[in-house]
Amino acid sequence: MGVPTVRSSGGALAAAWVLGGLSVACGGGESGTAGDGLRVALLTSGPVSDAGWYAGAYEGLLLIEESLGARISHQQTRSPAEFDEAFFSYGSSGYDLVFAHGFEYQDAALRAGEEFPDMTIVVSSGGRISDNVRSLIFRLEEGSYLAGMMAGGLTRSKVVGMVGGVAIPPAQGTFRAFEAGARVIDPEIEVLEAFIGSWDDVAAAREAATAQLSRGADVLVHNTDAASFGVFQAVREAHGDQDPVWAIGMNRDQNDVAPDVIAGSAAIDIPRAFMEVATRFVAGTLPPGAFDLSLDENVVDFIVNPAALDRIPAELLSRIGEARAAIRQGTLEVPRIRFLEEESGSP
Amino acid sequence: MISQPLRPRLRSRRTGPLAAGMTAILAAAVLAAAGLALAGYDPVAAGHALVSGAFGSWERFASITLVRATPLILTGLAVALAFRAGVWNIGAEGQLYAGAVAAVWVGLAFPAAPAWLLLPGAMAAAAVAGGLWTLVPVGLRFRAGVGEVITTILMNFVAIHTVAWLVHGPLQEARGVFPQTDPIALAARLPRLGSGRLHAGFPVAVVLAGALWWLLRNSAWGFRVRAVGASVRAAAVSGRIHTGRVVLGAFLFSGMLAGLAGGVEVAGVTFALYENLSPGYGYTAIAVALLAGLNPIAVLLAAGFFGVLQAGAAAMQRDVGVPAVWVSAIEALVILAVVAADRFLRRGMETGAGPPGRSAASPGSEARESSSGSGDPLSDTGG
Repeated sequence: MGVPTVRSSGGALAAAWVLGGLSVACGGGESGTAGDGLRVALLTSGPVSDAGWYAGAYEGLLLIEESLGARISHQQTRSPAEFDEAFFSYGSSGYDLVFAHGFEYQDAALRAGEEFPDMTIVVSSGGRISDNVRSLIFRLEEGSYLAGMMAGGLTRSKVVGMVGGVAIPPAQGTFRAFEAGARVIDPEIEVLEAFIGSWDDVAAAREAATAQLSRGADVLVHNTDAASFGVFQAVREAHGDQDPVWAIGMNRDQNDVAPDVIAGSAAIDIPRAFMEVATRFVAGTLPPGAFDLSLDENVVDFIVNPAALDRIPAELLSRIGEARAAIRQGTLEVPRIRFLEEESGSP
Repeated sequence: MISQPLRPRLRSRRTGPLAAGMTAILAAAVLAAAGLALAGYDPVAAGHALVSGAFGSWERFASITLVRATPLILTGLAVALAFRAGVWNIGAEGQLYAGAVAAVWVGLAFPAAPAWLLLPGAMAAAAVAGGLWTLVPVGLRFRAGVGEVITTILMNFVAIHTVAWLVHGPLQEARGVFPQTDPIALAARLPRLGSGRLHAGFPVAVVLAGALWWLLRNSAWGFRVRAVGASVRAAAVSGRIHTGRVVLGAFLFSGMLAGLAGGVEVAGVTFALYENLSPGYGYTAIAVALLAGLNPIAVLLAAGFFGVLQAGAAAMQRDVGVPAVWVSAIEALVILAVVAADRFLRRGMETGAGPPGRSAASPGSEARESSSGSGDPLSDTGG
């Protein structure tokens, strides 16, 4: 029988070790230490090619390099086993500021913060803080509320759908706000909600979107990363000129991803937010604890798709505009879910 | 009775010369460098980052490379033992998750227990859970003749999705906010060795590798495992070996080693249960075991080799900006080159004939007695 026979590679292994040892002996030294200018790092747990959450963070990092002359580095961690290791690597190489772009880093960040007191870690949407571990909170609910108004105004079936990634408070909060916005337009609107358990599973997102469409939804919003393509695909397929079906982008201005079906995007200007953090960090004015960025700082907004303007009622647009101004002035408070824990020690 | 189409001989007969290894590494390095250069990265800088990321300093080597190697040693041993006994356990990943769940549960449920009790308790629970996780494939193999290749893989998915459910449900952190458990009690964590991140799981894994090597080589049990692995039918015909019992024992022990890997990972590295806890340790373990020729001592080297690759690959991302996908591709390329070069060079040598050299560092050489001869055991052990 042609069964594979795999033999020992002891020789190869021994050679690998010898080679490794040799190259160290030949001067594989440490690269860089503290004291040579600002060093900024970024950790993501997804690819920066997602045209969304992670891509924005990477753009922010590049902006910091360009504007502040910082030396930058990025690592995509593949599992929680790599979180502590990544912080350790940056901490022991003398990095000053590390953006950990997601709540998942929060525990490892607290541990690393204790071990490397000279390093400041900023955890996006983090729920835990300490002296040198800060939480960067995007008030995306404000944009999502306006997106909900858009959906409420566009729906004819009076059913709108929401497809989420993982059911965590920052994502759920945007959906609560979206719901509230839709019901301001029409309290009778029915809202469907599904979480697919992944940020980048395109097929699962598409399935969830198709299911909601078949239940009568004609406007779908998402809160995922790369999985959003699945939602847009499903909407595109269901879309007809006589019978329009709409999608709404989230996290980043996605209007040009599917300009024919996207009405607008509730977006975070992540690069701007990162710049804001880095600039304040350099100036020593980064507030302790949590740092909220919202509509007011132009970090969060709802951006109407210019390619869809002629298909959206002018009256709806002006209502959204009024609400936007009211949120800015503080006369309209958007519902949100609070998830920040009081200052705590390392777990 | 359903015959098992895959019962290959996996054991080594002798080691390849150092030249084979050098050629393999060089070939892989050249291929990887060419790929990186084509993609617009500086291959020299990337190579330097890889080496200094894995070996740059003792602290870095211990804190990153050895920490990465630890779960690979344990799962690698699990796979090596199973394959030695002719059991295709592809389920180390699921068994690892089962062990991680058990260790975290113990670490959360008894916060007041003293460390001398809690830590061994958590590790024992992890091993037992890993063993229990093999029971479904074991039962299906013995009762229904269903091949464990399929069932162990399927049990991986069951484990992964069970963990996802647990961290969103019963085991979710007390505040019920994020999909993870609370951190386990300090008393349930493995002590650190020295100032870095290296934890006590590493020496434990090394000792287990040595023990397994000794047992397989010198004990009656080891002989039975090797005999059954070489040919189930021959072992059964001999009339002296309970093949079913041997297979069962090896399967359970294999699951326990993988379960322990999960326990060590949560008690030494992550301190909490997460979804996607393992970056595929249970699958990489198969490559580790095969690269090691199923020899437990060589598993140490093979796991270390993968630890170096992964630690160095992460450094390539950080220092040179090589994206993660490239890093994964290069890892795969190196494995392919090492395995291929090793085999081709060996084949050339074998046609040259002559008795195999018994060099001092010869992983797998003790397996020769049992692997020569009738190497196509296609029948199952049956019930």
